[in-house]
Amino acid sequence: MQLKAPEHQVAGHIAKDGKPGPLVDDKGRFFKPLQGDSRGEIEVKFYESFSSNTEVPEHIRRYFPVYHGTQAVEGSDGAAMIVLENLLADFSKPSVMDVKMGTRTWYPEASEEYIQKCLKKDTGTTTVSAGFRISGFEVFDHKESSFWKPERKLLRGLNVDGARLTLRKFVSSNSLSDIGSKPDSAFASSVYGSSHGILTQLLELKNWFENQTLYHFNSCSILMVYENESILKGNDDDDARPQVKLVDFAHVLDGNGVIDHNFLGGLCSFINFIRDILQSPNESAES
Amino acid sequence: MNSRILIDIHHRIYSCTKKMLKVPEHQVAGHIASDGKLGPLVDDQGRFFKPLQGDSRGEHEAKFYESFTSNKKVPYHIRRYFPVCHGTQLVEASDGSGKLPHLVLDDVVSVYSNPSVMDVKIGSRTWYLDVSEEYFKKCIKKDRQTTTVSLGFRVSGFKIFDHQESSFWRAEKKLVLGYNADGARLALRKFVSSNSPADSNLTPNCAFASEVYGGSNGILAQLLELKDWFEIQTLYHFNSCSILMIYENESILMKEGDDAPEARAEVKLVDFAHVLDGNGVIDHNFLGGLCSFIKFIKDILQSVDKRDETDTSLLENGR
Repeated sequence: MQLKAPEHQVAGHIAKDGKPGPLVDDKGRFFKPLQGDSRGEIEVKFYESFSSNTEVPEHIRRYFPVYHGTQAVEGSDGAAMIVLENLLADFSKPSVMDVKMGTRTWYPEASEEYIQKCLKKDTGTTTVSAGFRISGFEVFDHKESSFWKPERKLLRGLNVDGARLTLRKFVSSNSLSDIGSKPDSAFASSVYGSSHGILTQLLELKNWFENQTLYHFNSCSILMVYENESILKGNDDDDARPQVKLVDFAHVLDGNGVIDHNFLGGLCSFINFIRDILQSPNESAES
Repeated sequence: MNSRILIDIHHRIYSCTKKMLKVPEHQVAGHIASDGKLGPLVDDQGRFFKPLQGDSRGEHEAKFYESFTSNKKVPYHIRRYFPVCHGTQLVEASDGSGKLPHLVLDDVVSVYSNPSVMDVKIGSRTWYLDVSEEYFKKCIKKDRQTTTVSLGFRVSGFKIFDHQESSFWRAEKKLVLGYNADGARLALRKFVSSNSPADSNLTPNCAFASEVYGGSNGILAQLLELKDWFEIQTLYHFNSCSILMIYENESILMKEGDDAPEARAEVKLVDFAHVLDGNGVIDHNFLGGLCSFIKFIKDILQSVDKRDETDTSLLENGR
């Protein structure tokens, strides 16, 4: 089995300082190292529960990575890894964005230390103000014929206007590294707006979140992916193949009869940002 | 404060102002003008006088009402969920401290004779950015101790008209603030029940659930209309606001025939001392809590429907 580091990790853990990072194979699978201090266990437990939960509607499963169990992998010191569907396997030049959803990333059951750490980060980012924060993204730049990724530091300091601008940049064709240029939002309607686009998918998720009391998706992210290459070639809208996926379930808890109002509030806010861009694609910032 | 001074204050209130001002009967949460404390007053013409508290909160609330009243972007059908404001007026304060500016509002309960009222603070947090460290700590402590963090809302207080006693039963404040999810659920059921609220061993019968919560003009329908607006409105962030649920308890039991008076259930948003500009972002904090609250109401209606179906089928089976 040929394993290598994934090319398009935009957020989360990467292989650093001898600590194992995620891996992909050539069969469309993604290997995620089990994180320490019970987070990995929680994530496994979630995937196991979710894959067999008959109360999850069929049409909602498409928003979650397919789970293939756990496996000890060579080169990761025999440590177990979660085996998932590689969400980017079918794309050749995917543009990817990771958005952490929710007005707070902490939850009452967490340790006091963790809560304080999260609160600090939440108040310092758009989590409190907008109900979500952009964790990372990567866009295929046609002019350079390469991928462009902003510095992580840049994203942390983003305010609401910055988040708006970034969401436009994600679907723009003009130069990304030039901070001064106004993003042209050229792909907004094919990525965000088409009948199978991001907005439609988010609205379907929203409907489910208004009623589901199965899980609370604390600190989860929504991954947005689309095929950047085909749009410029002038193919049908469908070729952008925009996808919404939920990822990162290390802090998921039982819903206990209550809806995930934290995730839902943030999701509704995010939906509004996307809608605004679709309604006014030529503005770079709302006043 | 002894009774002689209280009588003196009341005399001054009645004689100095042309209106007859008294302490409102149906306050379930917030400051209460009793024992010489500063609190709201009502007149006999359906007006509610809310004293503008110190520390700028009162002014802030007045500013909100001013903005809201003249804001053309507020859809007409949403205005029914907000009290009508008539500006501010100098009125003899309830604590005898003289004439103070008061916010003049339409008293939302004045059209009812024996209203059952519940105050629910909406949102998974009552604090917001740019508050003092002290205020933030106070809020988050309360949010974590109550159902605010876990459910996205907390019951602040409620009272029910008890037909058997022909008087009002008020939920104990300390108990209410100590509710967990089950406690909140129980309170919402109790609120629409006809069996004795004072007896804590009785399972609430939810006798009025379909009329008050359900129906085309019931609480749920109104909450859903509010939810639709909150999904798109970026005008205001309603930090620490409450939803008031009111219905006429007396008429439901007296119901005979088609011309009987209705429950006239109403939803009102109140308490705007901490409202801020939306700045192009929806009020996701309020919206999340509102959706959670809606689910609780829906669950009660569903359980009542199921129970009624079971009762019907039992009857049909001759049992």
